[in-house]
Amino acid sequence: MNIATDPWIWIGAILTLAIFSFLYKENPFYRIAEHLYVGIANGYAITFYWHRVLVPSLFDRVGAQTTPLSTKIWLIAIAIIGALYFTRFIPRISWLVRIPIAIVLGYASGASIPRAIDAEIIRQLKATIITRHSFANWQAGIWAVIILLGVIATVSYFFFSTERKGILKPLSYTGIIFIMIGFGASFGYTVMARISLFIGRLQFLLGDWLGLIK
Amino acid sequence: MNRTKENILIRLQHIDRRWIYLILWLVVMIPLLFPFKIQPRPTPPVTQLFNYIDTMPEDKALAISVDFTPDTRAELQPMVVSLMRHAFAIKRRVGILAISVYGLGLGEEAIQQVTEEFNSRARNHEDSVIYGEDYIFWGWTTPVLTVMLGMGERITNVFPVDYYGNKTETLPITKHIKNYDDIGVLVTIAASAIPRSWINYAQTQFGVHLSCGITAVSAADFYPYVNSGQFIGMLAGMKGAAEYEQLVRQRMEKNGMTWLLRNRGTEAMSSQTSAHLTIMAFIIIGNIAYFAVRRKRK
Repeated sequence: MNIATDPWIWIGAILTLAIFSFLYKENPFYRIAEHLYVGIANGYAITFYWHRVLVPSLFDRVGAQTTPLSTKIWLIAIAIIGALYFTRFIPRISWLVRIPIAIVLGYASGASIPRAIDAEIIRQLKATIITRHSFANWQAGIWAVIILLGVIATVSYFFFSTERKGILKPLSYTGIIFIMIGFGASFGYTVMARISLFIGRLQFLLGDWLGLIK
Repeated sequence: MNRTKENILIRLQHIDRRWIYLILWLVVMIPLLFPFKIQPRPTPPVTQLFNYIDTMPEDKALAISVDFTPDTRAELQPMVVSLMRHAFAIKRRVGILAISVYGLGLGEEAIQQVTEEFNSRARNHEDSVIYGEDYIFWGWTTPVLTVMLGMGERITNVFPVDYYGNKTETLPITKHIKNYDDIGVLVTIAASAIPRSWINYAQTQFGVHLSCGITAVSAADFYPYVNSGQFIGMLAGMKGAAEYEQLVRQRMEKNGMTWLLRNRGTEAMSSQTSAHLTIMAFIIIGNIAYFAVRRKRK
């Protein structure tokens, strides 16, 4: 056994145990650790943004003599528009918050929509099309057919404009099977992820803290 | 069904969840202390990424985007570490950036660990990995869109100074990594939808080769992108990390680097297997108890 002497590891270990104590029942140690986490994470982010974004990109540049006047005007105007987010706290002029939101939404939508159509729709559709190359080997061929069937069946399940009769009925039922398999896979992966996180903490407690893992 | 049997089945359905936590705690802890040998077999998405990096031209660099936060460190940090080991073992340049503010510390931690592993065993200058020549930590900047699109034009415009405050233009590595054209593959290690943004912006606009390392929770969401070829490969969860660790270990041994390095992903696999088997047993027992009691009541 080779217990850590680093005080930071001890702090980490005690806080980990405090969080785990919630598994037994709600208690003050858990509350302290939870509030510390939220406070430190926010404090870190705020100071980080202040020192790494606002100071170098706004205050330093506006204050620098080498910055052209036109750039300074732009920077100040953008800072004022950004500050309008805080008008939410003043009910009388809270409508002004729509201005920065509209700018951000417009910019993000303009930049995202054309690219998303290409990357998320066209490329994904192309991946479902079966060609001669899909059958380069028999395994790939079978998977390609299953994917095509799965996509058609799942999409038909979400086709609500008409009654599920004729071909639509078996197709949508097949869709349900594919959806359920998808949910099962997702749930299995979720269990795996949660266990992994727990293992990570135990590796820290047993290895880094207590030195029991060789 | 006799009365005692029925009582056990009913009690099983109302068992205090704390007993389950205790059992899981033991099931995970014991194999960590007394591991049994388990060799994760690499799956195709992991092998594809490994082979791609392994055969990447010498003048191409590996870029790693640390896009996760400390809460998912257990699953994702081993991926960053093994990717860096792989690149250094085959003498490829590495560039690291962070899209998440909280990823900066994690990136720095991985860099310190891996560079120490290589430099402490280096016999000469050629063997060592040197900051600014063999690797660079670009750091973090905002907004995301500017980073992803800007790196396609010129990386030094996006990151005029690196994480340590050096002017990136003055570092020798900058001559070799100017923009996406010099990056063989960019691997985004994330616990969110950020890999999708890399596809939408960086790949659609500039055609950069991408891959991802993601948490097991989001694995099912990203398989379609591997199938479509938008991601070269994928490391999913701690198991994906363990598979990659094995491939890197084999590659390093082939290169004469028979080092005893700690592989956190592989180390966790016996616990992971035990926990999965236990959970499967819980599900089966719970269902048997539920259906048996329901049949009896009918």
